[in-house]
Amino acid sequence: MAPDELRAAVAAIVLTAGGPVRAGAIAEAVDQADVDEAAVEAVLAELGDRWSEPGSGMRLERVAGGWRAATPPELDPYLRAYHGVAARQRLSQAALEVLAIIAHRQPITLPEISFLRGVGSGGVVRTLLERRLIRLAGRKAVVGKPFLYRTSKEFLVHFGLDRAEDLPDPEELMGEERGGIAN
Amino acid sequence: MQRGTGPPVELPGFTGPLDLLLYLVQKNDVSIYDIPIALVCDQFHDHVEAMEELDLEVAGEYLWMAAWLLQLKSKMLLPRVREGEEDPREELVERLLAYRRVKVLAAMLHDRDVVRRLLWSPAVAATFVPQETEVDWEDVDLRLLARTYLDAMQRFRAAHPPPLTVAPLRFRLRDTMRRVYGTVSREGSMALLRDLHSRADSEEVVVLVVATLELVRLGAVCVDQRRPFAEIYLRPGSKPLDEGRLSLEEEARGA
Repeated sequence: MAPDELRAAVAAIVLTAGGPVRAGAIAEAVDQADVDEAAVEAVLAELGDRWSEPGSGMRLERVAGGWRAATPPELDPYLRAYHGVAARQRLSQAALEVLAIIAHRQPITLPEISFLRGVGSGGVVRTLLERRLIRLAGRKAVVGKPFLYRTSKEFLVHFGLDRAEDLPDPEELMGEERGGIAN
Repeated sequence: MQRGTGPPVELPGFTGPLDLLLYLVQKNDVSIYDIPIALVCDQFHDHVEAMEELDLEVAGEYLWMAAWLLQLKSKMLLPRVREGEEDPREELVERLLAYRRVKVLAAMLHDRDVVRRLLWSPAVAATFVPQETEVDWEDVDLRLLARTYLDAMQRFRAAHPPPLTVAPLRFRLRDTMRRVYGTVSREGSMALLRDLHSRADSEEVVVLVVATLELVRLGAVCVDQRRPFAEIYLRPGSKPLDEGRLSLEEEARGA
């Protein structure tokens, strides 16, 4: 397959995928003997470089185990003006805390989340479920069989993470601050 | 239909009692491992008192914490009996440390949210999207599955309403009235209660009672009872049973 044709096909697929797309899936769609996953990865990396140049209206990012096309943040005002929509609602502090707990300790139940925060979190969890940032992941085999929660693919996309494990460790984030207080 | 899921109501500034406590520790610039409980406990109480119009559930959580702090405060006043005895504050410290980790991670997520809220991804016109969209198993959660099942069942029920069953008419008022009237006029009297007790079918009992009342109303029989709960005797009434009228009334009632 001609390199130009492959580049064009990869860009077209990424732009129309509507979400993160795996290199393997692109290779399958192209279906050429000389195009394997590694070749597609190489083209994607090259595409990402090209799109990250100034003057490009589209970026390529690695999220949720795939590649996703997204606009640079600084274009948001123009896009909102054109589409006539208000700024997207910011996640509340309570929502961020619940997300942090689930991301760090998943799978986890609602009583455990509420205990860690010291405050009932049922309403926040419900809101996050509606926003599809978290998902149900079975029930815990304890009395009452409470639901277990995990972060969703949407969570990875929204926060730009490849995998949930890529979240930094809170201990690391605190760094020296902790040592300072401990003394 | 959908329950409102507005933004979660928060106290001004604090998302919970642990948040308030952590703030007090930082404000007083004291070590989390050696919290001056008496000071923090008093300040916590002041804050809770200042928070008016707390919603009951949230208030309960703050009050619970206030009570715990008070308990710790009194324990701290007692001298340590044994060497190496556990510090009463240990559990509180652990919970504060765990909560501080949550806050640090939440702050990091906040920074990402601020930027990434502004990202747009290309939207493909709906006509290009195949009708049978493939669902990623990651996107399937139990709630979605349950809702889909309920929707499907509802559609099925709407498309297949249960057939109307019409129970056959087993006892006709007119026939029962004729029978009772016949018995009364033939034998001079009829013991109603004995007759009722001999019948096992409740539907038949109801029809018999109604038939009797109807006969009394028409004056075809009269009833006689000596005292409450005693046997009720039916005797011939002042008027004969008018067959023609019986049919007419039945028709009018639609039976």
